[in-house]
Amino acid sequence: MLKKFDPNIMAFLCNWCSYAGADLTGTSHFHYPPNLKAIRVMCTGRINPLMVAAAFRHGADGVLISGCHPGECHYMEGNYLARRKIFVFRNLLEFVGINPERLQMSWVSASEGKKFSNVVKEITEKIKKLGPLTTFDE
Amino acid sequence: MDKEKLVNEAKAVFSREDVACLIGYGKDSIGFRVSPIFIRTRDEADQLFFSPLCSLSLVNYLTLEKGVLLEGNKETGGEKIAIVARGCDSRALIQLFAERGIPREQVVILGVPCRGTIDLKKIEGKFPDARNCTEVTEAEGMYYIRFDNESHEVPKEELLADHCKHCAFPNPLVYDVLLEDLVDSKGAAYSDIEEMEKMALEERHEYWKDKFARCLRCYACRNACPLCYCDDCILERVSPQWVNRSVNLSENLMFHLARSYHLAGRCAGCGECERVCPVNLPLMLLNRKLEKDIKNIFEYTAGSNLDDKPLFASFNPKDPNDFIF
Amino acid sequence: MKLGVYICHCGVNIKANVNVAKLTKFAEQLPRVRVARDYLYMCSEPGQQLIKKDIEEHGLDRVVVAACSPRMHEITFRKALRSAGLNPHCLEIANIREQCSWVHEDRMKATQKAQKLLAAAVSKAALLEPLEEKEVEVTPAALVVGGGIAGIQAALDIADTGYKVYLVEKEPSIGGHMIQLDKTFPTLDCSACILTPKMADVGNHPNIELFSYSEVVAVKGFVGNFEVTIKKKPRYIDETKCNACGQCAQYCSIEVPDSFNLNLSKRKCIYIPFPQSVPACYVIDPDHCRYLLTRDCTQCLEVCKQGTNAIDFTQKEELVEVKVGTIVIATGYDLFDVTTKPEYGYHLYDNVITGLEFERLSNASGPTTGEIIINGKKPKDVVFIQCVGSRDKTVGNEYCSRVCCMYTAKQAHLVREKLPQATITVFYMDVRAFGKGFEEFYDRVKQEGVKYRRGNPSEVYRRGDRLVVKAEDTLQGELVEVEADLVVLASGIIPNKQTAQIASLLKLSQSPDRFLLEAHPKLRPVDSASDGIFLAGCCQGPKDIPDSVAQASAAAAKSLIPLSTGKVIIQALTSFVQESDCRGCGFCVEACPFDAIELREVKRGRRVLEVASVNEVLCKGCGVCASVCLSGAIQQKSFADRQILSMVAALGEEYA
Repeated sequence: MLKKFDPNIMAFLCNWCSYAGADLTGTSHFHYPPNLKAIRVMCTGRINPLMVAAAFRHGADGVLISGCHPGECHYMEGNYLARRKIFVFRNLLEFVGINPERLQMSWVSASEGKKFSNVVKEITEKIKKLGPLTTFDE
Repeated sequence: MDKEKLVNEAKAVFSREDVACLIGYGKDSIGFRVSPIFIRTRDEADQLFFSPLCSLSLVNYLTLEKGVLLEGNKETGGEKIAIVARGCDSRALIQLFAERGIPREQVVILGVPCRGTIDLKKIEGKFPDARNCTEVTEAEGMYYIRFDNESHEVPKEELLADHCKHCAFPNPLVYDVLLEDLVDSKGAAYSDIEEMEKMALEERHEYWKDKFARCLRCYACRNACPLCYCDDCILERVSPQWVNRSVNLSENLMFHLARSYHLAGRCAGCGECERVCPVNLPLMLLNRKLEKDIKNIFEYTAGSNLDDKPLFASFNPKDPNDFIF
Repeated sequence: MKLGVYICHCGVNIKANVNVAKLTKFAEQLPRVRVARDYLYMCSEPGQQLIKKDIEEHGLDRVVVAACSPRMHEITFRKALRSAGLNPHCLEIANIREQCSWVHEDRMKATQKAQKLLAAAVSKAALLEPLEEKEVEVTPAALVVGGGIAGIQAALDIADTGYKVYLVEKEPSIGGHMIQLDKTFPTLDCSACILTPKMADVGNHPNIELFSYSEVVAVKGFVGNFEVTIKKKPRYIDETKCNACGQCAQYCSIEVPDSFNLNLSKRKCIYIPFPQSVPACYVIDPDHCRYLLTRDCTQCLEVCKQGTNAIDFTQKEELVEVKVGTIVIATGYDLFDVTTKPEYGYHLYDNVITGLEFERLSNASGPTTGEIIINGKKPKDVVFIQCVGSRDKTVGNEYCSRVCCMYTAKQAHLVREKLPQATITVFYMDVRAFGKGFEEFYDRVKQEGVKYRRGNPSEVYRRGDRLVVKAEDTLQGELVEVEADLVVLASGIIPNKQTAQIASLLKLSQSPDRFLLEAHPKLRPVDSASDGIFLAGCCQGPKDIPDSVAQASAAAAKSLIPLSTGKVIIQALTSFVQESDCRGCGFCVEACPFDAIELREVKRGRRVLEVASVNEVLCKGCGVCASVCLSGAIQQKSFADRQILSMVAALGEEYA
């Protein structure tokens, strides 16, 4: 029997907004699926899209990048810089035949605990529908 | 191209005392091959030529020259390097000036308006036995080719390098001397990219899987690129290991994602990567896909303006946000 | 390399949903792990002792703690490492509480996830480098933004300690909303009487430099060394000369609505907001002054020339730069715009007023010298409506404004005092009388014959010459119509309209209610997320006066810590450049939001070339530079590519 697909989702969360938001999700005990595992970075601007590629190569079926809402970056513009890079990288992924939906970006503030749990739920569902990412298996 | 004009202008450049070297095209002895030549005296300038066979970019050779300034050396003693540059080469030069802080004045640019160049693989495929090519000229959509004791006419379309077919910058964007009248520019064309975008995701996946599976990871594409100039490439490092050494689809894909992403907003469109690829990977498709998106979305064209901030070091609050979850 | 792994049960907080015993066994077999332990409360003294003892006995190089969020106890454990002689940055925390045990129900899956998080932390820990923490000097001065009661209190507390304070107020006088109030609940002190001495103290304090009629327009730098640009608007009057004699206003022929009295009266175009204004200096309203608009009137100028000659029409907007070590934000609140609830008829009927308008009406220095007169008559029937713009999702304000219940009770009391015969009805949703003496006061007001009816009125309309308030009394379960000739709307508190602007100027966050967000809702209610910037008063959320004063004093105390220690440790997570890898392209220089990177010349072999170099004092450690670096030469300490990639690799593994 085929094992039920249980996606591996990695997240890069900025320290000031989304990681704090994810902590608030915990403090408020809003549940979400355990598929998502977070890596804390200080700012989404720190994220090099190649880290996303590396995540896929190391077995991630989906990747979430989450940071402060536009205009609210702790470092002023890191999230804007990240958005541009991620946008371009998603297009590149799509062009080589990797569904760009596997790379999601969201804005979650430190006070949006509920939103974070919803984002995780929806992304997990989405990746489940897309099935495992096999491109990097060979 | 009028050879006399080229040679005379080159000699004129050499009459200036501050030019140490001129990099141009010289005719190779075998078949249709063309070599870069390094001219150091006035008389040597007679060896220069230019024809549709000049498909290689000379920009990369700047770093091989004595004026190591292009490797970032600030102590040059003021010598300049002259270079023959087509439209795409001029974009690479602009990008290098901007990125490496090379003073524009240190380079003397002999600009060549370019009607497109011949893909060596195509012409050699058509005339595999040619030994001594004497001339290739272009007129009215035809190439007139003379080699050994034969002469041939071939429609331009059959031999033109793929990336030249879509070239939007045939004319040099910067130059000190212009060697010919400017040619008409067609504007950017991305019909082939658009065709590929229409393919189903799975279909495109299969297409690239097939391509990347062939990659030998010889790094020729990287070495030939005028804009890949790191002393120590991250794709060869062990810590962190972005790409590991094994040659398989997974690592090859990782390599090509990294390579094309590193050229996003930087690729000058010279097609060197594709030209040198021993297994004929259509690498310019990746570069041009990004070039197209970046142009359409961010109104940004690499190597078009010396004062542009790097694409990924800038943003507009109105950048696309619809994809945000 | 020897690692120690410490897994916290957090009582049952972690243990209930994560199999701690299994996790500890799992940790033992991870690479380089010398010792793995679990304990009830790792953050407790014995828990920390466990770590310290192991560092000493086993000679551990790196420590991994699997516990609550690093945002909670990273500092605690860093201190523990330091006291055991290990560099505090040799610590990595796996967040298995907030981001694991508290959010997943399936214990097996939560345990599996905890394993991954732990494995990732262990692999990163092995790559951590000891970091040096550098100290920088602190400018011994503070900036206080906002001159209401919170800003006044914070400024006085800091100044009294002996440090210089720059107090910036956008209005011509300090005092804020409190100076507009009549009496304060529940003690019925006269608001101005208790505030004006403090205002005078500010005006006279040798350590306070007051920038009234001014705004902060730019803030650069970091804790200990902020550079602030203040825009001084022209008053057209020399503050050093004006003695507030008021002759000018007597000669001024232009009358405009008096904003201090909420436009219930008129004032002159040259004016002082209220008699006790600080600074005691007149100001000319540039939107109405005939001289400034058309140059055809010099009445005030002429009379002033005979006195102190303080009027100066050549004054221009001025930018002043000051340097401070810390900043207190006390920008206060605005009132909810009651016209967004048109059903209450504020825009239609003169005798529907807001709570703050009532304060002016009832105030002895107000437009009616304290008599409650509406349209020339004393009202016989007065209705108060609570929660206007508070606890109201339809207007986007879900929160309670925290003062309206009590100010309504107070105002009802004042009506009773001034109009003993009037009938007084209060419509309320709930009465929240939570503070000291509040319930007692509420009780007293009810005893005074104020009728409290539970219900949220649906409409105020006119019938004949009277108003009718229509509501459902939810206790009686009946529809009621109450006639009134004065309706007072208890308008709620909203963030100062410039809050978003202030937030972006200082890189502060706003909570969903749009007030400024504190660093931690429980434990750091006065700090902002930016080091050296503190919050006081209603900018952080609705508060009454004692709470604002308390928070202001707390903010002052917090901001005094760096000032009095004279040094701050600059954060160690800066970027650094591996020079031999740098290609000198300058992308990082262009991308850095803080101008902390520059290219400088170095020799490499025979070549002289430029490479990036980081100014660690200016670097705030966002890592944007590292993400645009193509050669991987610029990296962020503790968040280097290789450290992040090691976590990615560990999260990608499957563990039994």
